Amino acid sequence: MRFEDVSLRYGAGPEILRHVNFHLEPGSFHFMAGPSGAGKSSLLKLMYLAQRPSDGGIQMFGRDVAGLSRSEAALMRRRIGVVFQDFRLLDHLSALENVALPLRIGGQRADKVRKHVAELLAWVGLAEHLHALPQTLSGGQQQRVAIARAVVARPNLLLADEPTGNVDDRIAVRLLYLFEELNKLGTTIVIATHNETLVSRFSHPVLRLSAGEIQLSRSPAMSPSGAGSQPTKGSAA
Amino acid sequence: MLLRRTDLPLDRDASGRFLPWLVAVMVYLAALALICAIGANKVVTRWDQGLAGRMTVQVPTSESESDIRAGEVLAALKAIPGVRSAETLGAEEIARLLEPWLGTGAAYQDLPMPTLIAVRIDRAAPPDMAQLRRRLTQIAPGTVLDDHQSWLGKLLDLARSVQLVAALVVGLVGASAVTMVIFATRMGLSVHGRVIELLHLVGAQDSYVASQFQAHALRLALRGGVLGLLMAVLTVLLVANLLGQSDAVALPDLSLLPIEWSLLPLLPLVVALIAMVTARLTVLRTLGRMP
Repeated sequence: MRFEDVSLRYGAGPEILRHVNFHLEPGSFHFMAGPSGAGKSSLLKLMYLAQRPSDGGIQMFGRDVAGLSRSEAALMRRRIGVVFQDFRLLDHLSALENVALPLRIGGQRADKVRKHVAELLAWVGLAEHLHALPQTLSGGQQQRVAIARAVVARPNLLLADEPTGNVDDRIAVRLLYLFEELNKLGTTIVIATHNETLVSRFSHPVLRLSAGEIQLSRSPAMSPSGAGSQPTKGSAA
Repeated sequence: MLLRRTDLPLDRDASGRFLPWLVAVMVYLAALALICAIGANKVVTRWDQGLAGRMTVQVPTSESESDIRAGEVLAALKAIPGVRSAETLGAEEIARLLEPWLGTGAAYQDLPMPTLIAVRIDRAAPPDMAQLRRRLTQIAPGTVLDDHQSWLGKLLDLARSVQLVAALVVGLVGASAVTMVIFATRMGLSVHGRVIELLHLVGAQDSYVASQFQAHALRLALRGGVLGLLMAVLTVLLVANLLGQSDAVALPDLSLLPIEWSLLPLLPLVVALIAMVTARLTVLRTLGRMP
Protein backbone atom coordinates (compact mmCIF):
# COMPACT_ATOMS: atom_id res chain seq x y z
CA MET A 1 0.00 0.00 0.00
CA ARG A 2 1.47 3.29 -1.08
CA PHE A 3 0.09 6.74 -0.26
CA GLU A 4 1.68 9.57 -2.21
CA ASP A 5 0.95 13.13 -1.16
CA VAL A 6 -2.61 12.18 -0.24
CA SER A 7 -4.96 14.83 1.05
CA LEU A 8 -8.59 14.47 2.00
CA ARG A 9 -11.34 16.94 2.65
CA TYR A 10 -15.10 16.40 2.74
CA GLY A 11 -16.83 18.83 0.41
CA ALA A 12 -15.67 22.37 1.00
CA GLY A 13 -14.62 21.61 4.58
CA PRO A 14 -11.11 21.73 6.03
CA GLU A 15 -8.48 19.17 5.10
CA ILE A 16 -8.81 16.08 7.28
CA LEU A 17 -5.56 14.61 5.96
CA ARG A 18 -2.71 16.69 4.58
CA HIS A 19 -0.05 15.46 2.17
CA VAL A 20 0.19 11.99 3.62
CA ASN A 21 3.03 9.82 2.32
CA PHE A 22 3.82 6.29 3.39
CA HIS A 23 4.41 2.85 2.04
CA LEU A 24 3.41 -0.34 3.85
CA GLU A 25 5.33 -3.43 2.85
CA PRO A 26 3.31 -6.62 2.27
CA GLY A 27 3.19 -8.64 5.47
CA SER A 28 3.90 -5.69 7.77
CA PHE A 29 2.09 -4.98 11.04
CA HIS A 30 1.33 -1.41 12.11
CA PHE A 31 -0.61 0.30 14.78
CA MET A 32 -2.22 3.61 13.93
CA ALA A 33 -2.50 5.91 16.90
CA GLY A 34 -3.62 9.44 17.49
CA PRO A 35 -6.16 11.48 19.37
CA SER A 36 -9.82 11.59 18.40
CA GLY A 37 -10.35 13.70 15.30
CA ALA A 38 -6.80 13.19 14.11
CA GLY A 39 -8.02 11.48 10.96
CA LYS A 40 -7.54 7.77 11.80
CA SER A 41 -10.95 6.69 10.56
CA SER A 42 -10.63 8.83 7.44
CA LEU A 43 -7.27 7.28 6.65
CA LEU A 44 -8.75 3.82 7.14
CA LYS A 45 -11.64 4.72 4.80
CA LEU A 46 -9.11 5.57 2.13
CA MET A 47 -7.40 2.25 2.78
CA TYR A 48 -10.56 0.19 2.39
CA LEU A 49 -11.63 2.17 -0.66
CA ALA A 50 -14.74 3.69 0.89
CA GLN A 51 -13.38 7.14 0.13
CA ARG A 52 -11.38 8.64 -2.71
CA PRO A 53 -8.64 11.18 -1.89
CA SER A 54 -9.16 14.83 -2.74
CA ASP A 55 -5.60 14.96 -3.90
CA GLY A 56 -2.64 12.63 -4.35
CA GLY A 57 -2.44 8.99 -5.34
CA ILE A 58 -2.99 5.65 -3.64
CA GLN A 59 -1.65 2.35 -4.84
CA MET A 60 -3.01 -0.90 -3.46
CA PHE A 61 -1.76 -4.32 -4.44
CA GLY A 62 0.17 -2.72 -7.28
CA ARG A 63 -2.85 -0.90 -8.75
CA ASP A 64 -3.66 2.79 -8.77
CA VAL A 65 -7.04 2.90 -7.04
CA ALA A 66 -8.10 6.00 -8.98
CA GLY A 67 -8.30 3.89 -12.13
CA LEU A 68 -10.41 1.12 -10.64
CA SER A 69 -13.91 0.53 -11.92
CA ARG A 70 -16.67 -0.21 -9.39
CA SER A 71 -16.39 -3.88 -10.17
CA GLU A 72 -12.60 -3.91 -9.81
CA ALA A 73 -12.84 -1.99 -6.54
CA ALA A 74 -15.30 -4.59 -5.23
CA LEU A 75 -12.94 -7.40 -6.13
CA MET A 76 -10.05 -5.56 -4.47
CA ARG A 77 -12.11 -5.09 -1.28
CA ARG A 78 -12.38 -8.88 -1.04
CA ARG A 79 -8.66 -8.84 -0.32
CA ILE A 80 -9.21 -6.39 2.54
CA GLY A 81 -10.75 -7.31 5.88
CA VAL A 82 -12.19 -4.46 7.91
CA VAL A 83 -13.20 -4.30 11.57
CA PHE A 84 -15.42 -1.26 11.92
CA GLN A 85 -15.52 0.76 15.08
CA ASP A 86 -19.31 0.40 15.21
CA PHE A 87 -19.08 -3.27 14.14
CA ARG A 88 -21.66 -2.88 11.37
CA LEU A 89 -23.18 -6.31 11.81
CA LEU A 90 -26.39 -7.12 9.95
CA ASP A 91 -29.13 -7.25 12.58
CA HIS A 92 -31.28 -9.82 10.80
CA LEU A 93 -28.45 -12.32 10.39
CA SER A 94 -27.07 -14.61 13.08
CA ALA A 95 -23.46 -14.41 14.22
CA LEU A 96 -22.70 -17.39 11.98
CA GLU A 97 -24.33 -15.77 8.96
CA ASN A 98 -22.63 -12.44 9.61
CA VAL A 99 -19.21 -14.05 9.73
CA ALA A 100 -19.94 -16.12 6.64
CA LEU A 101 -20.91 -13.01 4.66
CA PRO A 102 -17.53 -12.38 2.97
CA LEU A 103 -17.29 -16.05 2.01
CA ARG A 104 -20.78 -16.07 0.58
CA ILE A 105 -20.10 -12.88 -1.38
CA GLY A 106 -16.90 -14.50 -2.59
CA GLY A 107 -19.00 -17.30 -4.03
CA GLN A 108 -18.10 -20.09 -1.61
CA ARG A 109 -20.65 -22.80 -0.94
CA ALA A 110 -22.52 -22.55 2.34
CA ASP A 111 -22.02 -26.17 3.35
CA LYS A 112 -18.27 -25.82 2.94
CA VAL A 113 -17.89 -22.64 4.97
CA ARG A 114 -20.10 -23.55 7.91
CA LYS A 115 -17.53 -25.66 9.74
CA HIS A 116 -14.79 -23.13 9.17
CA VAL A 117 -16.96 -20.24 10.39
CA ALA A 118 -18.14 -22.15 13.44
CA GLU A 119 -14.52 -22.96 14.38
CA LEU A 120 -13.53 -19.33 14.02
CA LEU A 121 -16.41 -18.17 16.21
CA ALA A 122 -15.45 -20.78 18.79
CA TRP A 123 -11.90 -19.46 18.72
CA VAL A 124 -13.10 -15.95 19.58
CA GLY A 125 -15.17 -17.40 22.39
CA LEU A 126 -18.59 -17.40 20.76
CA ALA A 127 -19.18 -21.12 20.31
CA GLU A 128 -22.38 -20.84 22.30
CA HIS A 129 -23.68 -17.94 20.24
CA LEU A 130 -23.48 -19.18 16.66
CA HIS A 131 -27.15 -18.55 15.99
CA ALA A 132 -27.58 -15.49 18.14
CA LEU A 133 -28.70 -12.26 16.50
CA PRO A 134 -26.32 -9.31 17.05
CA GLN A 135 -28.77 -7.35 19.18
CA THR A 136 -28.81 -10.19 21.71
CA LEU A 137 -25.01 -10.06 22.10
CA SER A 138 -23.00 -7.75 24.32
CA GLY A 139 -20.79 -5.04 22.82
CA GLY A 140 -17.71 -7.17 23.30
CA GLN A 141 -19.34 -10.19 21.71
CA GLN A 142 -20.47 -8.12 18.74
CA GLN A 143 -16.95 -6.83 18.35
CA ARG A 144 -15.60 -10.37 18.23
CA VAL A 145 -18.15 -11.31 15.59
CA ALA A 146 -17.01 -8.28 13.59
CA ILE A 147 -13.39 -9.36 13.94
CA ALA A 148 -14.24 -12.91 12.89
CA ARG A 149 -16.01 -11.54 9.83
CA ALA A 150 -12.98 -9.43 8.93
CA VAL A 151 -10.52 -12.31 9.11
CA VAL A 152 -12.63 -15.23 7.90
CA ALA A 153 -11.64 -14.88 4.25
CA ARG A 154 -7.92 -14.66 5.08
CA PRO A 155 -7.53 -11.16 3.62
CA ASN A 156 -4.23 -9.82 2.30
CA LEU A 157 -4.81 -6.64 4.27
CA LEU A 158 -6.61 -6.34 7.59
CA LEU A 159 -7.73 -2.93 8.80
CA ALA A 160 -9.19 -2.59 12.26
CA ASP A 161 -10.67 0.51 13.80
CA GLU A 162 -10.45 0.25 17.60
CA PRO A 163 -10.93 -3.54 17.51
CA THR A 164 -10.36 -3.96 21.22
CA GLY A 165 -12.41 -1.04 22.44
CA ASN A 166 -15.21 -3.10 23.95
CA VAL A 167 -13.37 -6.13 25.30
CA ASP A 168 -11.40 -6.70 28.49
CA ASP A 169 -7.60 -6.82 28.43
CA ARG A 170 -7.46 -10.61 28.36
CA ILE A 171 -9.65 -10.83 25.26
CA ALA A 172 -7.88 -7.79 23.74
CA VAL A 173 -4.50 -9.46 23.99
CA ARG A 174 -5.94 -12.69 22.63
CA LEU A 175 -7.38 -10.84 19.65
CA LEU A 176 -4.04 -9.16 19.03
CA TYR A 177 -2.46 -12.61 19.01
CA LEU A 178 -5.01 -13.63 16.40
CA PHE A 179 -3.96 -10.66 14.29
CA GLU A 180 -0.32 -11.63 14.75
CA GLU A 181 -1.07 -15.17 13.62
CA LEU A 182 -2.70 -13.78 10.52
CA ASN A 183 0.28 -11.51 10.03
CA LYS A 184 2.60 -14.51 10.17
CA LEU A 185 0.56 -16.05 7.38
CA GLY A 186 1.30 -12.99 5.27
CA THR A 187 -1.58 -10.63 6.00
CA THR A 188 -0.67 -6.97 6.25
CA ILE A 189 -2.21 -5.52 9.40
CA VAL A 190 -3.11 -1.96 10.33
CA ILE A 191 -4.82 -1.43 13.68
CA ALA A 192 -6.15 1.96 14.68
CA THR A 193 -6.28 2.30 18.44
CA HIS A 194 -5.90 4.79 21.21
CA ASN A 195 -4.94 2.05 23.69
CA GLU A 196 -1.28 2.98 24.24
CA THR A 197 -0.89 0.18 26.79
CA LEU A 198 -1.79 -2.38 24.18
CA VAL A 199 0.48 -0.74 21.62
CA SER A 200 3.39 -0.86 24.04
CA ARG A 201 2.90 -4.61 24.66
CA PHE A 202 3.60 -5.43 21.03
CA SER A 203 6.72 -4.41 19.17
CA HIS A 204 5.14 -3.09 16.02
CA PRO A 205 5.69 0.26 14.35
CA VAL A 206 3.15 2.99 14.97
CA LEU A 207 1.69 5.42 12.46
CA ARG A 208 0.94 8.48 14.54
CA LEU A 209 -1.69 10.84 13.24
CA SER A 210 -2.01 14.34 14.54
CA ALA A 211 -4.13 17.08 13.01
CA GLY A 212 -4.22 15.31 9.67
CA GLU A 213 -0.50 14.68 9.45
CA ILE A 214 1.26 11.40 9.92
CA GLN A 215 4.50 10.41 11.66
CA LEU A 216 6.10 7.04 12.08
CA SER A 217 7.61 5.83 15.31
CA ARG A 218 9.64 2.63 15.52
CA SER A 219 9.72 1.69 11.88
CA PRO A 220 11.28 -1.71 11.34
CA ALA A 221 8.59 -2.87 8.95
CA MET A 222 8.24 0.25 6.83
CA SER A 223 10.24 1.29 3.86
CA PRO A 224 10.77 4.85 2.58
CA SER A 225 8.20 5.97 0.09
CA GLY A 226 10.92 7.06 -2.29
CA ALA A 227 11.70 10.22 -4.14
CA GLY A 228 9.09 12.92 -3.91
CA SER A 229 8.03 12.17 -0.40
CA GLN A 230 7.66 15.13 1.88
CA PRO A 231 8.78 14.13 5.36
CA THR A 232 8.06 17.52 6.85
CA LYS A 233 4.51 17.67 5.51
CA GLY A 234 3.03 14.54 6.93
CA SER A 235 5.09 11.85 5.31
CA ALA A 236 5.43 8.74 7.42
CA ALA A 237 8.24 7.36 5.32
CA MET B 1 -28.68 -22.60 7.08
CA LEU B 2 -26.30 -19.97 5.80
CA LEU B 3 -28.38 -19.37 2.71
CA ARG B 4 -31.71 -19.39 4.44
CA ARG B 5 -31.88 -15.64 4.74
CA THR B 6 -30.87 -13.02 2.24
CA ASP B 7 -28.27 -10.44 3.15
CA LEU B 8 -30.80 -7.67 2.61
CA PRO B 9 -33.92 -7.87 4.80
CA LEU B 10 -36.21 -7.02 1.89
CA ASP B 11 -39.06 -9.16 3.19
CA ARG B 12 -39.60 -6.62 5.96
CA ASP B 13 -40.16 -3.77 3.51
CA ALA B 14 -43.53 -2.19 2.88
CA SER B 15 -43.16 -3.27 -0.76
CA GLY B 16 -43.52 -6.87 0.41
CA ARG B 17 -47.01 -6.03 1.58
CA PHE B 18 -48.39 -3.84 -1.22
CA LEU B 19 -46.60 -5.13 -4.32
CA PRO B 20 -48.26 -8.59 -4.50
CA TRP B 21 -51.72 -7.08 -4.16
CA LEU B 22 -51.08 -4.46 -6.83
CA VAL B 23 -49.68 -7.09 -9.16
CA ALA B 24 -52.68 -9.30 -8.40
CA VAL B 25 -55.08 -6.53 -9.41
CA MET B 26 -53.10 -5.79 -12.56
CA VAL B 27 -52.89 -9.42 -13.64
CA TYR B 28 -56.59 -9.80 -12.86
CA LEU B 29 -57.44 -6.90 -15.19
CA ALA B 30 -55.04 -8.06 -17.88
CA ALA B 31 -56.37 -11.63 -17.75
CA LEU B 32 -59.96 -10.43 -18.05
CA ALA B 33 -59.02 -8.15 -20.91
CA LEU B 34 -57.30 -11.00 -22.74
CA ILE B 35 -60.22 -13.35 -22.17
CA CYS B 36 -62.62 -10.70 -23.46
CA ALA B 37 -60.43 -10.26 -26.54
CA ILE B 38 -60.46 -14.02 -27.14
CA GLY B 39 -64.23 -14.08 -26.58
CA ALA B 40 -64.80 -11.22 -29.04
CA ASN B 41 -62.71 -13.00 -31.63
CA LYS B 42 -64.74 -16.15 -31.12
CA VAL B 43 -68.03 -14.30 -31.58
CA VAL B 44 -66.87 -12.85 -34.89
CA THR B 45 -65.55 -16.21 -36.08
CA ARG B 46 -68.72 -17.99 -35.06
CA TRP B 47 -71.01 -15.53 -36.78
CA ASP B 48 -68.76 -15.26 -39.81
CA GLN B 49 -68.71 -19.02 -40.27
CA GLY B 50 -72.39 -19.34 -39.47
CA LEU B 51 -73.44 -16.72 -41.98
CA ALA B 52 -70.98 -17.58 -44.71
CA GLY B 53 -72.82 -18.31 -47.97
CA ARG B 54 -76.17 -17.35 -46.50
CA MET B 55 -78.42 -14.38 -47.01
CA THR B 56 -81.95 -13.45 -46.21
CA VAL B 57 -84.52 -11.91 -48.54
CA GLN B 58 -87.36 -9.98 -46.97
CA VAL B 59 -90.42 -9.56 -49.18
CA PRO B 60 -92.73 -6.90 -47.75
CA THR B 61 -96.22 -7.95 -46.85
CA SER B 62 -99.17 -6.49 -48.69
CA GLU B 63 -102.81 -7.18 -48.14
CA SER B 64 -103.57 -9.07 -51.34
CA GLU B 65 -100.51 -10.04 -53.29
CA SER B 66 -97.95 -10.98 -50.72
CA ASP B 67 -98.03 -14.71 -51.34
CA ILE B 68 -97.94 -14.26 -55.10
CA ARG B 69 -95.02 -11.82 -54.99
CA ALA B 70 -93.12 -13.93 -52.51
CA GLY B 71 -93.62 -16.92 -54.76
CA GLU B 72 -92.33 -14.96 -57.74
CA VAL B 73 -89.29 -13.81 -55.79
CA LEU B 74 -88.65 -17.40 -54.67
CA ALA B 75 -88.90 -18.69 -58.21
CA ALA B 76 -86.61 -15.95 -59.49
CA LEU B 77 -84.04 -16.72 -56.83
CA LYS B 78 -83.99 -20.42 -57.68
CA ALA B 79 -83.44 -19.58 -61.34
CA ILE B 80 -80.42 -17.39 -60.75
CA PRO B 81 -77.01 -19.05 -61.28
CA GLY B 82 -75.00 -19.12 -58.08
CA VAL B 83 -78.00 -19.65 -55.83
CA ARG B 84 -77.82 -23.16 -54.39
CA SER B 85 -81.12 -23.11 -52.54
CA ALA B 86 -83.92 -20.79 -51.52
CA GLU B 87 -86.82 -21.56 -49.20
CA THR B 88 -89.46 -19.56 -47.45
CA LEU B 89 -89.29 -19.70 -43.66
CA GLY B 90 -92.34 -21.21 -42.05
CA ALA B 91 -94.25 -19.87 -39.08
CA GLU B 92 -92.45 -22.15 -36.62
CA GLU B 93 -89.06 -21.06 -37.87
CA ILE B 94 -89.97 -17.37 -37.58
CA ALA B 95 -91.30 -17.96 -34.08
CA ARG B 96 -88.02 -19.62 -33.12
CA LEU B 97 -86.03 -16.67 -34.50
CA LEU B 98 -88.14 -14.16 -32.61
CA GLU B 99 -88.17 -16.09 -29.37
CA PRO B 100 -84.91 -14.60 -27.94
CA TRP B 101 -86.30 -11.11 -28.49
CA LEU B 102 -90.00 -11.44 -27.80
CA GLY B 103 -90.09 -14.47 -25.54
CA THR B 104 -92.04 -17.69 -25.87
CA GLY B 105 -95.67 -17.56 -26.88
CA ALA B 106 -95.52 -14.03 -28.23
CA ALA B 107 -98.37 -13.14 -30.53
CA TYR B 108 -96.11 -12.15 -33.38
CA GLN B 109 -98.79 -13.11 -35.91
CA ASP B 110 -100.32 -9.70 -35.30
CA LEU B 111 -97.11 -7.97 -36.30
CA PRO B 112 -96.59 -6.83 -39.89
CA MET B 113 -93.90 -9.43 -40.60
CA PRO B 114 -92.33 -9.63 -44.07
CA THR B 115 -92.03 -12.96 -45.79
CA LEU B 116 -88.55 -14.28 -45.14
CA ILE B 117 -86.65 -16.37 -47.65
CA ALA B 118 -83.43 -18.09 -46.55
CA VAL B 119 -80.98 -18.29 -49.41
CA ARG B 120 -77.81 -20.33 -49.71
CA ILE B 121 -75.38 -19.25 -52.36
CA ASP B 122 -72.47 -20.96 -54.01
CA ARG B 123 -69.44 -19.37 -52.31
CA ALA B 124 -67.19 -20.43 -55.15
CA ALA B 125 -69.36 -18.70 -57.79
CA PRO B 126 -71.66 -16.24 -56.03
CA PRO B 127 -74.24 -14.26 -57.98
CA ASP B 128 -73.78 -10.56 -58.70
CA MET B 129 -75.45 -9.09 -55.64
CA ALA B 130 -76.24 -5.69 -57.20
CA GLN B 131 -77.88 -7.33 -60.19
CA LEU B 132 -79.75 -9.75 -57.95
CA ARG B 133 -80.98 -6.89 -55.77
CA ARG B 134 -82.27 -5.00 -58.86
CA ARG B 135 -83.97 -8.09 -60.21
CA LEU B 136 -85.79 -8.83 -56.95
CA THR B 137 -86.88 -5.22 -56.54
CA GLN B 138 -88.38 -5.28 -60.02
CA ILE B 139 -90.47 -8.31 -59.08
CA ALA B 140 -91.47 -7.04 -55.64
CA PRO B 141 -90.70 -3.39 -54.87
CA GLY B 142 -89.43 -2.92 -51.34
CA THR B 143 -87.73 -6.31 -51.21
CA VAL B 144 -84.66 -6.25 -49.04
CA LEU B 145 -81.71 -8.50 -49.68
CA ASP B 146 -79.56 -8.87 -46.60
CA ASP B 147 -76.22 -10.63 -47.05
CA HIS B 148 -75.31 -9.78 -43.39
CA GLN B 149 -72.05 -8.14 -44.42
CA SER B 150 -73.00 -4.81 -42.89
CA TRP B 151 -73.90 -6.44 -39.56
CA LEU B 152 -70.78 -8.61 -39.64
CA GLY B 153 -68.67 -5.55 -40.39
CA LYS B 154 -70.04 -3.77 -37.33
CA LEU B 155 -69.46 -6.88 -35.25
CA LEU B 156 -65.92 -7.09 -36.52
CA ASP B 157 -65.36 -3.42 -35.68
CA LEU B 158 -66.67 -4.06 -32.19
CA ALA B 159 -64.43 -7.09 -31.77
CA ARG B 160 -61.42 -5.13 -32.97
CA SER B 161 -62.25 -2.35 -30.53
CA VAL B 162 -62.45 -4.87 -27.70
CA GLN B 163 -59.11 -6.35 -28.76
CA LEU B 164 -57.57 -2.88 -28.97
CA VAL B 165 -58.79 -2.01 -25.49
CA ALA B 166 -57.48 -5.36 -24.24
CA ALA B 167 -54.07 -4.65 -25.76
CA LEU B 168 -54.15 -1.20 -24.18
CA VAL B 169 -55.01 -2.69 -20.77
CA VAL B 170 -52.20 -5.25 -21.07
CA GLY B 171 -49.79 -2.50 -22.09
CA LEU B 172 -50.86 -0.31 -19.18
CA VAL B 173 -50.50 -3.26 -16.82
CA GLY B 174 -46.96 -3.80 -18.08
CA ALA B 175 -46.09 -0.12 -17.72
CA SER B 176 -47.66 0.01 -14.25
CA ALA B 177 -45.72 -3.08 -13.19
CA VAL B 178 -42.47 -1.49 -14.35
CA THR B 179 -43.27 1.78 -12.55
CA MET B 180 -44.25 0.05 -9.32
CA VAL B 181 -41.17 -2.12 -9.27
CA ILE B 182 -38.91 0.85 -9.98
CA PHE B 183 -40.55 2.73 -7.10
CA ALA B 184 -40.35 -0.23 -4.71
CA THR B 185 -36.74 -0.98 -5.67
CA ARG B 186 -35.62 2.61 -5.20
CA MET B 187 -37.36 2.65 -1.86
CA GLY B 188 -35.55 -0.56 -0.92
CA LEU B 189 -32.22 0.88 -2.01
CA SER B 190 -32.84 3.92 0.13
CA VAL B 191 -34.07 2.00 3.19
CA HIS B 192 -31.20 -0.49 3.07
CA GLY B 193 -28.50 1.98 2.11
CA ARG B 194 -26.28 1.11 5.06
CA VAL B 195 -26.56 -2.64 4.52
CA ILE B 196 -25.76 -2.21 0.84
CA GLU B 197 -22.78 -0.04 1.72
CA LEU B 198 -21.55 -2.77 4.06
CA LEU B 199 -21.99 -5.43 1.38
CA HIS B 200 -19.91 -3.30 -0.95
CA LEU B 201 -17.23 -2.87 1.70
CA VAL B 202 -17.12 -6.62 2.21
CA GLY B 203 -16.55 -7.04 -1.52
CA ALA B 204 -19.99 -7.39 -3.06
CA GLN B 205 -20.35 -6.26 -6.63
CA ASP B 206 -23.41 -4.36 -7.82
CA SER B 207 -24.68 -7.52 -9.51
CA TYR B 208 -24.68 -9.32 -6.12
CA VAL B 209 -26.93 -6.63 -4.63
CA ALA B 210 -29.06 -6.61 -7.78
CA SER B 211 -29.54 -10.37 -7.60
CA GLN B 212 -31.14 -10.02 -4.17
CA PHE B 213 -33.53 -7.31 -5.34
CA GLN B 214 -34.45 -9.18 -8.51
CA ALA B 215 -35.16 -12.41 -6.62
CA HIS B 216 -37.34 -10.47 -4.19
CA ALA B 217 -39.26 -8.75 -7.02
CA LEU B 218 -39.70 -12.06 -8.84
CA ARG B 219 -41.09 -13.72 -5.71
CA LEU B 220 -43.53 -10.92 -4.94
CA ALA B 221 -44.73 -10.49 -8.51
CA LEU B 222 -45.18 -14.22 -8.98
CA ARG B 223 -47.18 -14.47 -5.77
CA GLY B 224 -49.41 -11.55 -6.78
CA GLY B 225 -49.66 -12.71 -10.38
CA VAL B 226 -50.87 -16.19 -9.46
CA LEU B 227 -53.43 -14.70 -7.09
CA GLY B 228 -54.67 -12.30 -9.79
CA LEU B 229 -54.90 -15.09 -12.34
CA LEU B 230 -56.89 -17.29 -9.98
CA MET B 231 -59.32 -14.45 -9.32
CA ALA B 232 -59.67 -13.84 -13.06
CA VAL B 233 -60.30 -17.53 -13.78
CA LEU B 234 -62.95 -17.67 -11.07
CA THR B 235 -64.61 -14.56 -12.48
CA VAL B 236 -64.61 -15.97 -16.00
CA LEU B 237 -66.02 -19.31 -14.89
CA LEU B 238 -68.77 -17.48 -13.01
CA VAL B 239 -69.63 -15.21 -15.96
CA ALA B 240 -69.40 -18.11 -18.44
CA ASN B 241 -71.81 -20.06 -16.27
CA LEU B 242 -74.24 -17.13 -16.23
CA LEU B 243 -73.93 -16.70 -20.00
CA GLY B 244 -74.48 -20.41 -20.48
CA GLN B 245 -77.77 -20.17 -18.59
CA SER B 246 -78.87 -17.24 -20.75
CA ASP B 247 -80.72 -17.65 -24.04
CA ALA B 248 -79.15 -14.53 -25.48
CA VAL B 249 -77.58 -15.79 -28.69
CA ALA B 250 -75.62 -12.61 -29.44
CA LEU B 251 -73.65 -12.72 -26.19
CA PRO B 252 -70.04 -13.88 -26.40
CA ASP B 253 -68.97 -17.38 -25.54
CA LEU B 254 -66.38 -17.20 -22.75
CA SER B 255 -65.62 -20.89 -22.62
CA LEU B 256 -61.93 -21.25 -23.50
CA LEU B 257 -60.23 -24.06 -25.35
CA PRO B 258 -57.56 -26.03 -23.47
CA ILE B 259 -54.83 -24.30 -25.47
CA GLU B 260 -56.28 -20.92 -24.48
CA TRP B 261 -56.42 -21.93 -20.81
CA SER B 262 -52.83 -23.12 -20.98
CA LEU B 263 -51.70 -19.72 -22.27
CA LEU B 264 -53.14 -17.82 -19.31
CA PRO B 265 -50.44 -18.88 -16.78
CA LEU B 266 -47.96 -17.13 -19.03
CA LEU B 267 -49.43 -13.82 -17.89
CA PRO B 268 -48.18 -13.90 -14.26
CA LEU B 269 -44.93 -15.40 -15.48
CA VAL B 270 -44.37 -12.57 -17.93
CA VAL B 271 -45.30 -9.95 -15.32
CA ALA B 272 -42.91 -11.61 -12.82
CA LEU B 273 -40.13 -11.62 -15.38
CA ILE B 274 -40.77 -7.95 -16.16
CA ALA B 275 -40.60 -7.20 -12.42
CA MET B 276 -37.37 -9.15 -12.05
CA VAL B 277 -35.61 -7.49 -14.97
CA THR B 278 -36.87 -4.05 -13.91
CA ALA B 279 -35.57 -4.51 -10.36
CA ARG B 280 -32.18 -5.64 -11.62
CA LEU B 281 -31.80 -2.77 -14.07
CA THR B 282 -32.97 -0.24 -11.47
CA VAL B 283 -30.40 -1.44 -8.93
CA LEU B 284 -27.57 -1.58 -11.44
CA ARG B 285 -28.39 1.85 -12.79
CA THR B 286 -28.79 3.45 -9.35
CA LEU B 287 -25.64 1.91 -7.90
CA GLY B 288 -23.74 2.60 -11.10
CA ARG B 289 -24.28 6.33 -10.58
CA MET B 290 -22.57 6.17 -7.21
CA PRO B 291 -18.88 7.12 -7.01
